[in-house]
Amino acid sequence: MRDSLGKFVQRKEFEAASERLAAGKGDLTDPKQGITEAEAIEQAKQGREAAFEVLYHLHKRRVYSLCLRMVSNPAQAEDLAQEAFLQLFRKIATFRGESAFSTWLHRMTVNVVLMQLRKKGLPVVSLEETLAANDEAPKKEFGTKDVKLTGSIDRLQLQRAIDRLPPGYRTVFVLHDIEGFEHNEIAQIVGCSIGNSKSQLHKARLKLRDYLTFMRAEKAKTG
Amino acid sequence: MKCSDVERVLPELLDGAPDGAFPADFETHVKSCPACSNLVSDLKLISSEARQLAATEEPAPRVWLRIAAELRAEGLISDAAIREPESAPTRPILVPTSRRPRWSARWLAPVAAAVVAAGSYVVSHKPAPQVAKQQAPATRVASPIPETPAATSASAPTPAPRQMAQKPAKPTDTIRPAVEPESSEEDQQFLTAVSTRAPSMRTTYENQLKAVNADIRETQAYVDRNPGDTDARQHLMDAYEQKALLYQIALDRIQ
Repeated sequence: MRDSLGKFVQRKEFEAASERLAAGKGDLTDPKQGITEAEAIEQAKQGREAAFEVLYHLHKRRVYSLCLRMVSNPAQAEDLAQEAFLQLFRKIATFRGESAFSTWLHRMTVNVVLMQLRKKGLPVVSLEETLAANDEAPKKEFGTKDVKLTGSIDRLQLQRAIDRLPPGYRTVFVLHDIEGFEHNEIAQIVGCSIGNSKSQLHKARLKLRDYLTFMRAEKAKTG
Repeated sequence: MKCSDVERVLPELLDGAPDGAFPADFETHVKSCPACSNLVSDLKLISSEARQLAATEEPAPRVWLRIAAELRAEGLISDAAIREPESAPTRPILVPTSRRPRWSARWLAPVAAAVVAAGSYVVSHKPAPQVAKQQAPATRVASPIPETPAATSASAPTPAPRQMAQKPAKPTDTIRPAVEPESSEEDQQFLTAVSTRAPSMRTTYENQLKAVNADIRETQAYVDRNPGDTDARQHLMDAYEQKALLYQIALDRIQ
């Protein structure tokens, strides 16, 4: 019940927000047409709640997903997404449109998450990270594998594998392979060299391959 | 090139090679070495599949509710925006910003379900009259609320939902005793539980409950007068859903 109710309420909230916002504009006679992001930004600068709500609904999935991937904890991810949006809304008057709004927001979200990781003493980027002691994934030497992740990768398995990555590897992997940041951007955001970012990413992918191979083998055994 | 050479150059090549064009000796080795070939294709596969994970997760409704509450508390939402006259009825903000204490109130879940079920029953079992007996359906074009004695009176009730605002209430119209009472027994139990286990949240939830009950009452009165108005019926159902959400969020926060 909770999921269906939540989705229903969110849909209604979004429709209501678009409608309220459009109703306040003389040039939009059909509220169902909604408003553009740029219009919502301008109205949010004037403190219109419905504009904030529209912007939230436009970007909530991307922001929350980013937070969730980086901390692997839904409750923490909610708090971080909330903080990212609040920071955004507090500073929205300073947005001049030189960069894409989404880029601005995602950069802000990453900074919020990284600040949280640093507060908790977790490494944002690791130079030497190894598999955890209780890690069940087999460690193999490079170039000796004859296994292959044929076809496609199960999304749930990939999510679980990412959750198992050490925080430093996970940060770079999420930023590069999921969020699409370039290595020079990652280096600037997390405060490392470009070479370090590339190295972290490569190690993260190798670990993910190990995890996924192991998961596939386990599934075949039980399966 | 050997496998160890592939290991050395792969991090640089995998993302840096334009259009996936690798050096000739690298390509030659990978084609002849199944292990390195599998490795390269696997890493590319992981990278491409990972991109599909962006924006796949939906945050819970409470995230926006918390943000909105915080924006209000910080004064970032202007008063003029809050008092938008032609707006649809504003939903009460349901969630206080304090952290949730953990205790059990599992009885709230069936109550929330019952609220929705009751609302659904009420909405779906109201007989729709003949079209000829209906008043003209309300339009969705925003227009000022008509100036009527009831609307201009200082003691006028809370402005009706937008669909209702298009039509002035007849002087003889009265808000009949609502299906949803002012404060039902379940509401009292709910507030008692909140005040017992989280006293600081009592006032917040009490105000929200009053607001959502008022919304239900007013919409119900309108539906009674205009049973063929599907928008109003949907609005009534929304109001019940909103009340259910209040219970649900309380459950989440105080369980």
